[in-house]
Amino acid sequence: MTAAKTLKIGFGIVVIAALIIVPMNFNRYGLFILSQWAVMTIAAMGLNLTLGYAGQVSLAQGAFVGIGAYTAAIMTSSGLPLIGALGVAIVLCFAIGWILGYPALRVQHHYLAFVTLAFSTLAFLVFRNEDWLTKGIYGISNIPRPEIFGYPTRRPLPFYYVCLGSLGIVSLAVWWLIRSPWGRAFIALRENPVRALSLGIDTRRYTLMAFAIGSALGGVAGTLYAPLTQYVDPVPFHLSLSLDLLMMVIVGGSGFFFGPFLGAMIAVLLPEWLRFTQGYYLMLYAIAVILLLIYSPTGILGILDRYISERRTKAASALRAVAKAKLETAP
Amino acid sequence: MKPVFLASALLATVLTGAAIAQSGAPIKLANVAELSGGGATVGTNWKNGIDLAIEEINSKGGVLGRKLEVTHADSQSNPGVARAQVQKALDAEPYVLLGPGYSGSVKVTAPLAAEAGIAQIMGGEAAELTTTGNKFLFRTSFGQQSSMPKVAKYINDELKAKSVAIVWVNNDFGKGGRDSISKEFAKYNIKVAADLSTEAGQADFAADVSKIKAAAPDAVFVYVNEEESARILKELKRQGITVPLVGETTLVGQKVVELAGDAANGARGHVGLTTDAPVELIKAFRDKFVKKYNYVPDHNGLKGWLAIYMIKATTEKMGKVDSKGFADALHGFTITAAKEPGILMDATFDANGDIDRQGFLVEIVEGKQVVKQVLPKLGN
Repeated sequence: MTAAKTLKIGFGIVVIAALIIVPMNFNRYGLFILSQWAVMTIAAMGLNLTLGYAGQVSLAQGAFVGIGAYTAAIMTSSGLPLIGALGVAIVLCFAIGWILGYPALRVQHHYLAFVTLAFSTLAFLVFRNEDWLTKGIYGISNIPRPEIFGYPTRRPLPFYYVCLGSLGIVSLAVWWLIRSPWGRAFIALRENPVRALSLGIDTRRYTLMAFAIGSALGGVAGTLYAPLTQYVDPVPFHLSLSLDLLMMVIVGGSGFFFGPFLGAMIAVLLPEWLRFTQGYYLMLYAIAVILLLIYSPTGILGILDRYISERRTKAASALRAVAKAKLETAP
Repeated sequence: MKPVFLASALLATVLTGAAIAQSGAPIKLANVAELSGGGATVGTNWKNGIDLAIEEINSKGGVLGRKLEVTHADSQSNPGVARAQVQKALDAEPYVLLGPGYSGSVKVTAPLAAEAGIAQIMGGEAAELTTTGNKFLFRTSFGQQSSMPKVAKYINDELKAKSVAIVWVNNDFGKGGRDSISKEFAKYNIKVAADLSTEAGQADFAADVSKIKAAAPDAVFVYVNEEESARILKELKRQGITVPLVGETTLVGQKVVELAGDAANGARGHVGLTTDAPVELIKAFRDKFVKKYNYVPDHNGLKGWLAIYMIKATTEKMGKVDSKGFADALHGFTITAAKEPGILMDATFDANGDIDRQGFLVEIVEGKQVVKQVLPKLGN
């Protein structure tokens, strides 16, 4: 058991070290894609909290990334620091997420998906039509990249570290959250809301909380997205981003901590790897995702989970067989 | 003696081989365009135009004896993806960068190309693209700042309209056109009777047209994509609106005529680039394109084709393949169709990368595009 734990920790350290060291000699394109992966992972982690842990289907995560991105774009373009924008985006997305959570108290599953879908469209229309604030369809260009402790991050490598560092902080926070009583309450909510309620969990508050925290993480991702592409316009935050994020969570393994990491990897990196097939890359990508979900509806980590639990069952039944044999042969 | 002779012969072969390889190595171009997503028609036309031009040039021996080679990357019509792909393209140090076509994607990628010092020939038409002082960005078509004044002048001088209804598609293309023409209308004291924003892909224009009917303008300015143009033309006819319908390339194109049938008759507009232009070279281009791809290209197909011939003419003017000097050489350069037939019509590029060339005012008469007026180049 301890050996397995050391192995896990060792593996984790190797992966983190690789994420820090290997990209040092990447070109700008590689760094951009990796940064994109980090940003999308943060957004998917938020959705994983809402969907994977608390069981609330949301098609509005892309809209929250948009809200975060526009907050960052508007504030940093007028000279305010990115960290301030981050604070505003978190508070704003948390508050809107909380309010959006109210329908979740009344409707479930695909009905809830429709409510959030409506919100997603609403957000898009606001981004596009409120010219005075968002510059409408023209978008906001030349978004500056921040200085972190007086160190400029205009170059691709430093900004990749900003994204990676943010991903690290968010991961730790979410890790802590899902192991806290809150996280357990979220899971209880997903597994059996009635029982959770009868055990004294305030399901109403936790549903809203799951929505709000998940949305706030979308906002965090958005505040990084704006300085990453240095341009925001309404189109990328349309429904397709929400669907993409939903796919990342499901493909990675909804309800698994590492699900979003893998899911974002598939969604961001796989199409890039497949680009050598020219016109076919999106088709191949779609087929790969379909096959994966047919093979394992619980995502990539679902395969691993199944394998581990099968081994455990096998080991346990072997033990049982031994014990039974002992009992039978006992005098 | 013999070995020495052999060695020197070998050396000579290797050296000449190397020299040939150096001068004969293909010139690498990189194209990043909207091959999927909302702009797929734009990007695919653009790409096919590029491929067609390269094929033709290579079959005639290339540029300065070197073949052209292009890589195509899909931006998925998303500025974020466009940025990644342009970065990838620039990392490979192409001679010239081609695309994208969407103005938003151009905005996010232009600073990258400028930083790398590589010229970017793109398809975007938004007015502001060439106003930022970027010395590496070039248009392949009129920006809205040069096409809209011509339309407004026509509406004022020829149609003598005092009030106009504007129908535009709410994306960066439509909004840019609407903003430019509104400014021009203000100069002529033309009243905007109705200002109707529509969606890309909109199917039903009944509500918009009844608003136009209620506003009773002297003319209607329609600035939406081809398919939507056809739909609104049909609806305008159905509701019996008879005032002049004026637009741009997207209102009077061949595709609109095919889709709208009778309803397209009487529609008129300013066209910078059209495959229906009464120019022999353009007709020849169109035939070549149809032969290869089995469909009539829109103006984006022409733009892609022209981008490649801009590269050819500029490189031949420089007499060498010099990526750094390319932008300087193209600024202020006039490419004449007499010298370079591939350019189709004489074109001049100014210091901002804007293009100046002939334009046409056309009207649809009995399902055919008829050129009513040829608008000369400004700097003649």
